[in-house]
Amino acid sequence: MFAGAAAAILVALALAVLRAIKGPTVFDRALAGNTVGSLAILLLAVFGFLTGRPEFLDIGITYGLLNLIGTLAVLKFFRHGDLAYDPEEER
Amino acid sequence: MALAIDVASGLLIAAGSFFILVGALALFRLPDVYTRAHGTSIIDTAGAGFLILGLMLQAGFTLVTLKLLFLLAISFFTLPVIGHALARAALHEKIAPKLAEDRRGRGRNSAGDGA
Amino acid sequence: MESLINMVLLTLLAATTIAIVGQRSLLGVVILASVYSFLMASVMIVLDAVDVAMTEASVGAAISTVLLLGALHLTKTREEAPRHGRLLPLLLCAAVGAMLVWGTLVLPPFGTPDAVIHQHVVPRYINETVRETGSPNIVTAVLADYRGFDTLGETTVIFIAGIGVMLLLGGLRRRDRAQDSAAEDQR
Repeated sequence: MFAGAAAAILVALALAVLRAIKGPTVFDRALAGNTVGSLAILLLAVFGFLTGRPEFLDIGITYGLLNLIGTLAVLKFFRHGDLAYDPEEER
Repeated sequence: MALAIDVASGLLIAAGSFFILVGALALFRLPDVYTRAHGTSIIDTAGAGFLILGLMLQAGFTLVTLKLLFLLAISFFTLPVIGHALARAALHEKIAPKLAEDRRGRGRNSAGDGA
Repeated sequence: MESLINMVLLTLLAATTIAIVGQRSLLGVVILASVYSFLMASVMIVLDAVDVAMTEASVGAAISTVLLLGALHLTKTREEAPRHGRLLPLLLCAAVGAMLVWGTLVLPPFGTPDAVIHQHVVPRYINETVRETGSPNIVTAVLADYRGFDTLGETTVIFIAGIGVMLLLGGLRRRDRAQDSAAEDQR
């Protein structure tokens, strides 16, 4: 059953990468990039159980947090054009 | 008892895989950014939730279960927030959502006579 | 099963690379590069290199993305059309790549235990690691103990690079702000 879950996650990964390549706007690509990150975490968990070594989960936690930071950085850049945007400096 | 755990975790993992496939298909096939954001939220909450619950049943009461729970908590709370932030940023950029009327040629974004 | 996962991930990597090369918008390139990093980290996990995967994920997916975005802020976000033809560079790259692949054909297969590189220090590492360093992971012992000076040099280089980037990106903003306030004082 782990093999079936891994196969499903691989198909989902392929679809998400296709959307990242095709997507006409930046937001499509950012969405697909976020999905690739979370699917990589799930693939990691299933793969750890598939090979009998579930010690890879620490990396999954790292990926989860990094996914958050990376996507929020992209969005912040796109909205304000500056990564160190300070709303109080505008006034 | 072990057989019951195996069957239950097998069912949960199968449900999780199904939702992951559905979410990825939604990401690929739906026509608009806002509708695609639904698909990714499905993957992150339902797909990841069922899959990790099934894996936790397989692992029993060890440290691995605790780490899986932590992973689930992170995934559950941060990834839908990212989806919402993306949708909001897209709205700020004034990307117009595709309405059903557009596809029939009668909406306000298309050249129809019902404007 | 593992080889199937490997094959699918490597195919997706190739597709992402081709898409990166064909992109015109640099924001899309940055996001596709982060997708590439996640896929590469997954490949490394399938190949059993767990610490390299963690480094690849944190550097490639988060830090590199943020730094590239900061650099994009200073330039424009669309790539210009190339001014000269692209056929000759493509042929040159293909020729060099073919020569390199031809060079690797004489190497022993991946992972043979009696290859030449496994005969000098590797038996000592494998036999003596736990006793000499106390670490059960041979790769970590090599990185941190047997080749500790290399790691020291790498850390120094990375720190210098980070300080340089911070000075470049941070100093520019301060200069902008000083120019803005000087312009305002003149009015």
